[in-house]
Amino acid sequence: MARGLSRLAARAIIALVAASVVVPIMWTLLSGFKNRVDIVTPTPMLFFTPTLDNFLYVLERDSVRAGLINSIIISGCSVLIGATFGLPLAYAVARYPMRFANDIQFFVLSLRFLPPVAIAIPLIVIWLDVGLYDTRLALIVTYSLLTLATTIWLAIPAFRRVPNEIEEAAFVDGYGPYAIFFLIALPIAWKSLMGAIVFSFVLVWNEFLIALMLTTSDAKTLPVVASEMTQLGRDVPWGILNASVILLSLPPLLFLGVLSSFLNSALKTRNQG
Amino acid sequence: MKIRTSLPIVFTVPTMAALAILAFVPTIDAINIALQNRELSNPDSVYVGFANFRALFDDPRFLNSVWVSIKWEILTVVATMVVAIPLAVLLFEATSPNVRNALCVLFIVPALLPRVSAAFVWRFAFHPLFGLAVYPLKLITGHPVDLLADPHTAMLAVAIVDVWQWGLLFSVVIVKLLETLPPQPLEAARLDHARTWEVYAYVALPMLRGALISLVFVKMIESLRAFDLIYVMTRGGPGITTETLDMYAFSQGFIESGRISYASSMAVLMMIATTVAFTILWRRVRRWQEA
Repeated sequence: MARGLSRLAARAIIALVAASVVVPIMWTLLSGFKNRVDIVTPTPMLFFTPTLDNFLYVLERDSVRAGLINSIIISGCSVLIGATFGLPLAYAVARYPMRFANDIQFFVLSLRFLPPVAIAIPLIVIWLDVGLYDTRLALIVTYSLLTLATTIWLAIPAFRRVPNEIEEAAFVDGYGPYAIFFLIALPIAWKSLMGAIVFSFVLVWNEFLIALMLTTSDAKTLPVVASEMTQLGRDVPWGILNASVILLSLPPLLFLGVLSSFLNSALKTRNQG
Repeated sequence: MKIRTSLPIVFTVPTMAALAILAFVPTIDAINIALQNRELSNPDSVYVGFANFRALFDDPRFLNSVWVSIKWEILTVVATMVVAIPLAVLLFEATSPNVRNALCVLFIVPALLPRVSAAFVWRFAFHPLFGLAVYPLKLITGHPVDLLADPHTAMLAVAIVDVWQWGLLFSVVIVKLLETLPPQPLEAARLDHARTWEVYAYVALPMLRGALISLVFVKMIESLRAFDLIYVMTRGGPGITTETLDMYAFSQGFIESGRISYASSMAVLMMIATTVAFTILWRRVRRWQEA
């Protein structure tokens, strides 16, 4: 009896936590479809006549469109750079005995220690001095530091999980070291590597502080545009704000499945290894 | 298969060189700028030695931001673990595998949201007049409650969002780790009439000690990045009660005065403090995990 009760209490707590995830997000989503009069009510309204006006307004705004395009180009390029150069490096560290393997790993991790504001402030000056301030190129280069570090850090264990025997068998069959990397290791580890790449994408798509400090108009990314809308004056267009926040949040959520299974596989092998 | 090959050099040297340039150029330049008196509006500047650093320690607003950052760091790291560990145990004990897997996917969602979005979702929910989260408070007290404008509750309200993102993510990580544990030690403890909480406190969680320490370490690093949440939710306010170091450096270097050198000296101090602290901690963590 007491056991059943405590089980019930446990489930109640879990349900409460689950509600804390679902309710605020759903509320934001619902409010994206509300007219302003239905949002600014003293009692929260659950039933209302939905409208697409907020989303249409947001999508038609030049600033949002420019932010969306900037975000796609900047995250796309920096993720591509991170993967193209990070994956081979991770493979070399994972597979070849190197004198500096541990130092490389620690260096890559230590990039994570740097407070973003500490990188951003000197970069303002550097990009201003070379005339690239507020350009996509400046952000792509800066973000490549993030994507490279993340991709390398997550890809090293993924490559270590590829069974050594397979690579040795390929070697016996006459494959060279580069062929083994491209034709054997990459395809086998691909699923985990995708997780690492997607993770680096979410990281730069969501990045805010550096983008805020390194852009003023031309290269603004979507988080910066969205945050500017949330700082609008007194007569706050809440419906439009909600719509723009939803637009900003969709891309990372698209990868929920990939990242969740990546987390699963990474944690499973970690404890056995 | 150990043969002589150019692969390790070709794959590592160029990329490491690029990484080193990307990381060290801004770092060294930060120090360089911190020793000048440069302002954003005026590119001419002279070297002033350590004047910026000396000025920092006479600046009450800087000292306040150090204190706010320390409070924020402790509050969010502790709260995240205090939420994550019991929640993980509850999930592991009281749900069937299918329900648990579904909940694990759900609990990752807050961490995936851009912090700007998470901050906004909750700023909206905390809105004194029509926020959903404060609606019950409004009914009880009879007047609007503005958590984000009250100096006593503002940091707490922002910390809730941080824990909402990280605490739930960590609970998923810990559940997955609990699932990988061998069941025999837990069963043995149960046969010895250990209570449920004792099984976890004395058997299961100690077995995960290394992983839990790593999680604390990760959270300590991530808690330094509170800027997005604070910027969207309070902008450091009310007054300067939630103005962390990065928020203050940003407003000095960017909004209020464009004193980029002054801001840079703050950045240098942060860089030194975090690098030293985390290098020492990281060595410790390694040792604890191996012990």
